[in-house]
Amino acid sequence: MTDYGHDLLFGTFVTPAPGAVELAQTADRAGLDLVTFQDHPYQPAFYDTWTLLSYVAAQTSRIRVSGNVLNLPLRPPAPLARAAASLDILSGGRFELGIGAGGFQDAIAAMGGRKLTPAQSVDALAEGIAIIRDLWDTDTRSRVNHDGTYYNVVGAKRGPAPAHDIAVWVGAYKPKMLALTGALGDGWLPTMEYVPGGPAGLPDANARIDEAALSAGRDPAAVRRLMNFMRMDGPPSSWIDHFADLALNHGISAFIIGGDDHAMAEALAAEVAPAVRELVKRERGA
Amino acid sequence: MTSLDLALASPEELVAAARDGDVVLRDSGEGLDPLTTAVWLAGRTSGTKIGVSFEASSDAMREKTLDSLETLTGGRVVVDADPAAARALRRDGIDYDGVPVPALEPGDRSFRGRRSTYLRGGSPGLVLQPRTPSEVAAALEFARRHRHLPLGLRSGGHGISGRSTNDGGLVIDVSGMNTIEVLDPSARLVRVGPGATWKQVAVSLDKYDWALGSGDYGGVGVGGLATAGGIGLLSRAHGLTIDHLRAVELVLADGTPVRASATENPDLFWAMRGAGANFGVATAFEFEVDEVREVGWAKLVLVSADLEESLKQYGAVARNAPRDTTVFLVTGPPRQGQSVIQLYGMVDSDDPDVVISRLTPFASIGMLAQQQVVITRYADVMGEAADVGPEGQHGRGEPVARSAFVPVLTDAFARDAARLLRSGQVYYFQLRHMGGAITDVDPGEMAFSYRTPEMSVAAMGGDRQGLDSQFDRLAAHFDGLYLSFDTDLRPERVADAFPPPVLARLRSLKHRYDPTNLFRDNFNITPSTPFTPFATEENS
Repeated sequence: MTDYGHDLLFGTFVTPAPGAVELAQTADRAGLDLVTFQDHPYQPAFYDTWTLLSYVAAQTSRIRVSGNVLNLPLRPPAPLARAAASLDILSGGRFELGIGAGGFQDAIAAMGGRKLTPAQSVDALAEGIAIIRDLWDTDTRSRVNHDGTYYNVVGAKRGPAPAHDIAVWVGAYKPKMLALTGALGDGWLPTMEYVPGGPAGLPDANARIDEAALSAGRDPAAVRRLMNFMRMDGPPSSWIDHFADLALNHGISAFIIGGDDHAMAEALAAEVAPAVRELVKRERGA
Repeated sequence: MTSLDLALASPEELVAAARDGDVVLRDSGEGLDPLTTAVWLAGRTSGTKIGVSFEASSDAMREKTLDSLETLTGGRVVVDADPAAARALRRDGIDYDGVPVPALEPGDRSFRGRRSTYLRGGSPGLVLQPRTPSEVAAALEFARRHRHLPLGLRSGGHGISGRSTNDGGLVIDVSGMNTIEVLDPSARLVRVGPGATWKQVAVSLDKYDWALGSGDYGGVGVGGLATAGGIGLLSRAHGLTIDHLRAVELVLADGTPVRASATENPDLFWAMRGAGANFGVATAFEFEVDEVREVGWAKLVLVSADLEESLKQYGAVARNAPRDTTVFLVTGPPRQGQSVIQLYGMVDSDDPDVVISRLTPFASIGMLAQQQVVITRYADVMGEAADVGPEGQHGRGEPVARSAFVPVLTDAFARDAARLLRSGQVYYFQLRHMGGAITDVDPGEMAFSYRTPEMSVAAMGGDRQGLDSQFDRLAAHFDGLYLSFDTDLRPERVADAFPPPVLARLRSLKHRYDPTNLFRDNFNITPSTPFTPFATEENS
């Protein structure tokens, strides 16, 4: 039994291709909390995810937007921090930073990114997150310096400051990345289909994140556990018990569904979200 | 044009200024990020142009971003071109200083809208845009100097086979040659440039109560279709598009302008109707068009739990339909055992009772879920196609499509087609209803030879090998193919497109009209060695 007590979020995982803006508008109108986009710039059929996020934020009014997850090797941290803060300001605090270490090294290299080993890319992500958080922190006036193995920042001015505390959600599966998530992240953002062992693998992953958070002197509950579902079978009403179970027993507090289906997004907002929230509220109250 | 400093302007000021008119964003490295802000402003306004410059992490990421800016904002975010960066985008082996006609190169702002086609992403090294036959000749002279490069010919850029773009080569884009004029009202004779779209043609003919059948989509360009065939919504009533062609003017590979008709260069006229892309760049078409008043236009959506049975029934209904009726079928992979079947078709009649009686048998091949039937103008049907503006076509990647003619839609074909759809390798499957007036023309009259199939089938997939391996399994049901719908580059497809005697004649004509094989990137017919009847005697 694991439940970190977060309010529940519901959203969609939208393919960054023609039709994406309309799907985001549907999610926004339906009242979902999040619309998110994968970031594979080397996939020729996809839009540039940052351009799409900026455009979608402008074309929606209430929903929060995020990469799911942004590709750090192709989006270096200092410019990304500025862009992210800018989009948060422009959108009235509706941007969250889903980020990952970048999985497809050859494809990244073909787009002009640096080719790293998996272990190096984890270390690079840790450096990147530190730089991003520093640049967002305008409470101190000192310049930002980072003399890292992967990223160097020399005497950078801070800011702009985001409109709200942008959450850093990390796409992670393997032990080193889970440890990084626990130590540095505000959230864990994996995809159920890729979690080793599926739902049965959740206790182990959660434990690794919790342990890393505690070692870093943080409360494990500071790390929200989000979950993508590439594909959900059956009618949305049949998902309710499954989601409530994941919330109450595995601490999952955000449900992000793929499939690029307008009707699904509407049903997720109208049927699934209220029912899961009600079930979870009742159990938590008990 | 208002210039705004990103370090100083508030979001509210930015939006207010952009709502008043075009803006330029100035970046001093502080405050809001220029690209993010520009895209945001484009998303919050509708007509405003936003000028900006930005840095990307690599040239490839910059290109990616520019491409997305163009499609998402409709070209309203205008990025400062850096002349050095623009020159760096030039491709090897092209004499950029010797370009003889208007042209776009990769660093040009308008290039982005002309690099790709409807379904295929491309990155040619140069898009030549001739406006007259003599400019076409000059473009061909340039192409002859660049034989080491691919050469695409483009009219509307809608072709499914994607041959009108390439990677690093030349494209001759005749979209500017798009005039439409009536030559002889009593003979219904019209002259059309290759760059017009069928939507534009339909609008021009509509006021005379005329129409010229093309395919099923008004956004397609005239040149590509009118040199290949044109199996469309009016084909059963009035024949293929090329059946209406009375003369064509073109520029040959060596730059010679020629006219071909039944009486002038009749061999070339024969070849241009079905294999035109191998013989020249068409610069004008003269068609005899049909009297067409209002037509019945139907879109039906049906659901079927038994696709095989529905295909059989469709075949039977289509076979028995009168020739005023043409109904196409589209479906995709079944989901949870259910197939969604779209039927769309035209009845060349303005009598609602006739239209309904023609369509009713089609509506029973599955469970009818949606229907829309109207009496309308042919031009309004073509007008459903979106206009392609300066933002151009933005296909991505490589399309994967196969085509075949089906002589008879047999039960065995229905079974195997249903299996093909269940394989998951086909996301779009179309049957075009043939027969009727298509069969009135003698197969020998033109290079397009397949007069008697019941159906033309097209299948699109995501994976070339996957689609080919499944589609090839149906080969026993096929005889021939429609080259504009096939992306398969295996050489045997050319033999599918043209029966042996036709291919032999085409090869000999190719030797006469394009002996160096300049036009080689679209179902290439290789020139045959000239036939020398007395060689044996001389040797003896």
